[in-house]
Amino acid sequence: MAGVSETNVQFWMNKAVNWGEASSCSALLDTSRHLGPLRNFLQQILQGLQQMNSTSEAMKTFPFVGQFLGRLCWNSCVTADERSQKLLLRCLSCLYSAEPLNAVERKANMWIKNMLCHLISEEEGSVAHATVKHAGSTPMRYHTEALQKVVSLMVEEVSKSCDCLPNASARCSNSNIHTMSTACIALVTCTQMAPLIGALLKHSESCGSSCLNQEFINEVGEAFISKRLVLEDEAVISLWCQSALSLEGAAVSLLESVLSDHQLTTQSLDKHVNDSLLPQASARHCHIFLTVSEIYRNVLTEIDENLAIRTLIQVFTVCFLQRLTGQNSQDRLPLRAFFPNVMPSLLSPLLTAPSEVPREAWLDHLSWITSLLQSVTENEEEDVRAYQPMFEAWFLLVRCGYWVDTAVELLVLAASGNTEALLWLLTFFHHPTNRGHQRSQQTAVAREAWTHLRMLFLNHPPPPRHLSAVKELLSSSSISANLVLHLFSNFAVFSHGPVSIITEISDKVLTETAVRRRALWILASIRCRLNSASSRDDRVHSRLRTLQDTLLQT
Amino acid sequence: MEAVLRHLNNILELLAVSRTDRVREWDRPTTQRAFKWAEYCEQLHSRYQSNPTVRSSLESGLTDTNRRLKETFPSYSPVEFSELAQCQHKLIVYLLRNPSSPHFIIEMLFPDQNSPSQELLAAQNSLVTRKSAFSLLCCTVNRTSSYYGLQTEPEVRGKLLGKLLNSILARPGNEEHAKCLLDSVRCNSAGKVDGFYDVIAGALLCSSDESQRFIITWLKESDGGLNTFCSVISPEVCAVISRQSPEFRKLYWGALKQWASCLEYDVIESVWVTSEGAGSFDVLADRLRDLINSGESLKEETETALKALTLQDGDFSVKGVSVWTDLTLQLKL
Repeated sequence: MAGVSETNVQFWMNKAVNWGEASSCSALLDTSRHLGPLRNFLQQILQGLQQMNSTSEAMKTFPFVGQFLGRLCWNSCVTADERSQKLLLRCLSCLYSAEPLNAVERKANMWIKNMLCHLISEEEGSVAHATVKHAGSTPMRYHTEALQKVVSLMVEEVSKSCDCLPNASARCSNSNIHTMSTACIALVTCTQMAPLIGALLKHSESCGSSCLNQEFINEVGEAFISKRLVLEDEAVISLWCQSALSLEGAAVSLLESVLSDHQLTTQSLDKHVNDSLLPQASARHCHIFLTVSEIYRNVLTEIDENLAIRTLIQVFTVCFLQRLTGQNSQDRLPLRAFFPNVMPSLLSPLLTAPSEVPREAWLDHLSWITSLLQSVTENEEEDVRAYQPMFEAWFLLVRCGYWVDTAVELLVLAASGNTEALLWLLTFFHHPTNRGHQRSQQTAVAREAWTHLRMLFLNHPPPPRHLSAVKELLSSSSISANLVLHLFSNFAVFSHGPVSIITEISDKVLTETAVRRRALWILASIRCRLNSASSRDDRVHSRLRTLQDTLLQT
Repeated sequence: MEAVLRHLNNILELLAVSRTDRVREWDRPTTQRAFKWAEYCEQLHSRYQSNPTVRSSLESGLTDTNRRLKETFPSYSPVEFSELAQCQHKLIVYLLRNPSSPHFIIEMLFPDQNSPSQELLAAQNSLVTRKSAFSLLCCTVNRTSSYYGLQTEPEVRGKLLGKLLNSILARPGNEEHAKCLLDSVRCNSAGKVDGFYDVIAGALLCSSDESQRFIITWLKESDGGLNTFCSVISPEVCAVISRQSPEFRKLYWGALKQWASCLEYDVIESVWVTSEGAGSFDVLADRLRDLINSGESLKEETETALKALTLQDGDFSVKGVSVWTDLTLQLKL
């Protein structure tokens, strides 16, 4: 009886007996509330049964099992639950003897067949049996339609119980909604149920109180993340409003998709991010935005040099801002609510999209941003308390990475007199703290790289001295490798030399696969910015594509 | 047509054999083939169910074969035309009920994830899920906005029956078939009269005008059907149907008058008592009250009818002379 304890057996046997005796409604709701542990118990029984050599042995070792499984077969909550049903059927098939050796085993076989017959058909002589028998279609189609009809009746019921509320803020007192959600715990993965599940979620969100069974919310969240349940967008957002766990799951799954799927670098990342619904949900509900931000902030502090993460955060912010601007201005919260920890003076310059600022004013705008950020970093040496505002300022810059990209684009064509602020911004982006990073030293490296890259992309053939210098700066041992790669990628896309130079230099400089992959992420963020630009420059787009193709060839 | 009838004959034989111990010899390919035949039979049904000409030749073919098979296999139960729609299901049930059926049936019907895909033809897991889900929802959720006390399950079953009748009656020449269908459902609901009429009420509430008229005629023509319907279906539901259908309204009034005529005044106890197990005085009053509360036109009509009946009885204003006077007083009209 390994794994199946006597107390457990007693507990579940009592439950099964009570479920059989109590009124069907309360018994089914009680079953609903116990589904999780019941599945575990069935799993234990299954493992026990699988170790048996014969049904006779199984029945000696688990004398309760026949009665227990039999009772569960009559409980429609257990048989409706996909996972419990599967376990139950597997237990029954373990008890079935392909070659019965004695009367007991023959009797058990017949009993199992009768049980299965009961599961798929109605009791003869009942109205249910008569209506199915003469339905003019298969029982499968009949029950599918019946389920759809009952679901639509319940959806109607849910929407009516919404209408009865005197006003939106009144607490929903309809215990029927709670009962419905409890009954639905077993049914979340049943395709026909999706409209009802959606209606329950939306109802609960609109009446602003938790009138749904928490276990129901957990099951829906779990089924949705594991893609066993498809919900309409509105319902998904309602789910996130009620389940922090699901929301975190969604944010993490977007993160994981970006970290694991390298194809995303060349596809439209903004579409991928929008498909996650997180930007839409964030624009609608400030708390969702704050939760998602918190998750990305934590990840960023762990792996701050990962360019995929940075690109994702930037693209997410762009998509979010687009959704927010698309909203009715009366319903819109002030930006400060979404960025509560950031110095308010930083919000307007950074959250303004480059496409909203005339090209001629970019340099001034960037100098303004740089000076604001420099003032935040001024006290970092002396004052520990300065660390937090500085981190927040940097995090905002990462989210608004399009301004850093804009700065680097300007650097490609800038005269040497105008580069100070731009190089500082780029350096701060990649080296936010002075500890271990020595920002002033890195600014010097940035300047050096910039000088080499200018020579490299202006002359043909590429001068070997600058080629090897850039290669050296990009090597994995250099702590400025990302910064230099950022510069390099922008030179490749925005410099005016012939396209052939890009391929040639890239092939010579970007030799390591890992470096190429990081460069692809930088290109992805450039591409997203260009996609939302006010005008389209075909020459730049075609260079970008050429470079992507080159980098993809390994 | 001859070939189709021959196939039908084969399928019925196959179903008959599936209930005998001969089934022991079936191997997997044989069983798969049997299910293929059953599936073909379902297609025959769906293609011809609303075609009166083809259907009647199939039905007479069925009758012949049923008779012949009954002679050969005494335990054979005849197959009705509407059952052809679920031939595979019938085969499954027969095999499961048969102690001699081969052991692979179980895994064929309820396959594990790793079973080969061709076995999935008869997989029953989703049926179990949907059937259970339907009954779970019907049992647990009390709808506040339901049709005045009609339970969810009969309401839904009634809707499906109504939909089926709509589709059958949409083609001419199908009245007899539709009547047989209702007869069969009633016959197979053996004894569960209340449950059956609840389903009929559900069908009445949602079907097309034509089907509604058809069901009402069927109720009127079936022996005692209408009277039973009116007595088991709740006053609220009867009032709703009365509002929808003038024909039903007339028949319902007829039933109420018939009950009233069975009431006799017990002078000693000063109460109206019923002699023939029909509706009591209070039941009658409740039903009238629901009619009066179901909208202006029904209220007017009911009150006018009550007034006329009271007049007819002599327009007395004392208790115990005319049941209609007393009902009017009881309802405080």
